[in-house]
Amino acid sequence: MNLKQLISITISKLAIIVLRLLRRGGTTLPGKLALKIYPGILKSIASNFDVIMVTGTNGKTTTTRIIEEVLKNNNVDYITNKSGANLLSGITTIFIQAVTLTGRPRHQVALIESDEAAFNQVTKHLQPKAVVVTNFFRDQLDRYGELYSTLNAVKSGLERIDDSTTLILNADDSMCASLGRNTQKKVFYYGISPDTDTCRSSGNGPGGSQINTDAIFCINCKSKYQYTNHIYGHLGGFYCTNCGYKRPAAHLECTAILEAGSSHTTISWRSVPPLSSLEQQYKARINLPGLYNVYNAMAAAACGLALNYSPETVINAMQSFECGFGRMESISVGDKTIKLILVKNPTGFNQVLNFLTLDHKQLNAAFLINDNLADGTDISWLWDVDFEQLNEVSDRIGNLFTSGIRGEDMAVRLKYSGIDTRKIRIIKDYHLLLERGLDQTPSGGVFYILPTYTAMLDIRSILRKKYKLKEFWK
Amino acid sequence: MDTNKYNLTICHLYPDLLNTYGDRGNILALQKRAEWHGINVDIKNVTIGDTFDSSQYDIFFLGGGQDYEQEIIQEDVLNQKGNEIKAAIDGMKVFLCICGGYQLMGKYYKTWDGKEIEFLGALDLWTIGGKERMIGNIVFESDIIKDNGKPLKIVGFENHSGRTYLGEGIKPLGKVLFGNGNNGTDGYEGAVYNNVYCSYSHGSLLPKNPHLTDHLLSLALKQKYPDFQGLGALDDSFETAARSTVIERILKNA
Repeated sequence: MNLKQLISITISKLAIIVLRLLRRGGTTLPGKLALKIYPGILKSIASNFDVIMVTGTNGKTTTTRIIEEVLKNNNVDYITNKSGANLLSGITTIFIQAVTLTGRPRHQVALIESDEAAFNQVTKHLQPKAVVVTNFFRDQLDRYGELYSTLNAVKSGLERIDDSTTLILNADDSMCASLGRNTQKKVFYYGISPDTDTCRSSGNGPGGSQINTDAIFCINCKSKYQYTNHIYGHLGGFYCTNCGYKRPAAHLECTAILEAGSSHTTISWRSVPPLSSLEQQYKARINLPGLYNVYNAMAAAACGLALNYSPETVINAMQSFECGFGRMESISVGDKTIKLILVKNPTGFNQVLNFLTLDHKQLNAAFLINDNLADGTDISWLWDVDFEQLNEVSDRIGNLFTSGIRGEDMAVRLKYSGIDTRKIRIIKDYHLLLERGLDQTPSGGVFYILPTYTAMLDIRSILRKKYKLKEFWK
Repeated sequence: MDTNKYNLTICHLYPDLLNTYGDRGNILALQKRAEWHGINVDIKNVTIGDTFDSSQYDIFFLGGGQDYEQEIIQEDVLNQKGNEIKAAIDGMKVFLCICGGYQLMGKYYKTWDGKEIEFLGALDLWTIGGKERMIGNIVFESDIIKDNGKPLKIVGFENHSGRTYLGEGIKPLGKVLFGNGNNGTDGYEGAVYNNVYCSYSHGSLLPKNPHLTDHLLSLALKQKYPDFQGLGALDDSFETAARSTVIERILKNA
């Protein structure tokens, strides 16, 4: 019996209870305390779980939610970090909750979303059975540094863990796919097939593809990549004519977009050996719109099949999973709906804007931009977002509100995208913003709220009190 | 004022490689404000391997990139485009160079462990790499541009590990009120030589500082059209709100 471990768990568990009583969420502090008392705590208690990890720039939370649904469908006894507490301390808190005072596991599987910058550190403590990497995009340079340092950090993290781990990687992302080269680990690739017609749902107006510079040069030899097909950002059928590095064949991929709705996407997808015993074709309805969610669903499906869960349970998961924190959460207010969509970097924001332009109703939206540490203190990324695509639907634009600490900067950004300034309003007070926004939204319509991370915490707490939105740690 | 007879061609150098920190916003600001002032404007992208005749352009923009991409353009900028860039500077063409683009105009970059990388040498300035990055909001005050008769306060965001030092004949763009600026020690930010304007500030720099944008447009128009009288006023209420909110907040916390 390890006394330090016992004290560490006990104090941490007490902290969880106290913070809950104070209605403070308490997703990171208990873990921080536990690690302080006993730095080996996470490694020690996590070793008795089957760990599945999800990391990458965009789509971590949604991918994790779909995998969670696969686990549910298979009656697996699991724990997961639900509320975006994806740094070392938050992950530790989750494990503390999942063990007895003596450190015995109370569940079988731990499904863990990890921040990509924290991944290297987290893998010092965890030995995952499978790791899903979603993609690498430019994100909060003030916090993550340059993109290649994030990629290298994840790479070091993967090198640290045992070769028995299975890697599930995005074939269409030259950076993510490069993690599968020169490794002894088993690798499965997922993606969107080059034959898939993504025109209708992709966000690649001339502006959209032009502004991508995340990975245009070969990671091996610095020659310019060519593309057989282009999905969005730097994702697609990349190949290098100089050294021969190219998109690896995918073991699981979307083969057709059958229907791209405003609340879901219907697709065909296939899996090939060794991910399934034969080549198999399936249909599925993904419970969220947008091409980026097709990637998330394919990542989760590849993870599910790699862990030997049946395709049926995977398909069910895609159509029934619950949207994560701020990922298209809906709140009904009378005959109108508020939809919350988190925005945090240019690629994600572009995909959300693209989704907004697909709808046919009047567009009323609020952009809530903060520059706190968790949002990124540098808001220059707003200038890399392709707001210009909103001009394609200018006759449908009702009102665009801007708010948050940097609401004025957001208004400037919209102005320089060419949108009629009479349609842009700065309202800093969230209560007033909700009132005006809903007021301007026609009956049966949707008022979209697009906040950065900490702005979402603020607006959510107001929505919770006003409209009984559920508390995020539940 | 009839400005419709005026045309400006803006050259965005290496737009696919040097645009890490929202630098596209500077091009958008030049383009949109020129349009709002009634000036015909054309943006041309020029990158690695492209032929480059600097006499075709009135304003040049060079942004900042990641180390990986800066390495890739090194040869092209020094050996292929360098002489044209220097000729344009001598010909009093307008340049805006941000962060990595700013450093590139100087003589060299010495890494913190002593390795010296040769740069363009168009301006007498040089950069020494530091281990600590200087990251955060920055406010500086420029004597060169006036705001109602007073020195203009310019606001942006800096993120650089290089410390830049100015040689003789190079003026700083402004005096730092909050933040680090060129090197974190001498209290200055940016550089000006002929009509070349350099700064570490992105955010983006121009959209939120419309005086500076109009200043650059005016310089280019004066250079091209001897009869050019000056730009009229625009409604800058969003820009002013964004600028003053941030300046107030930053200086209050200083």
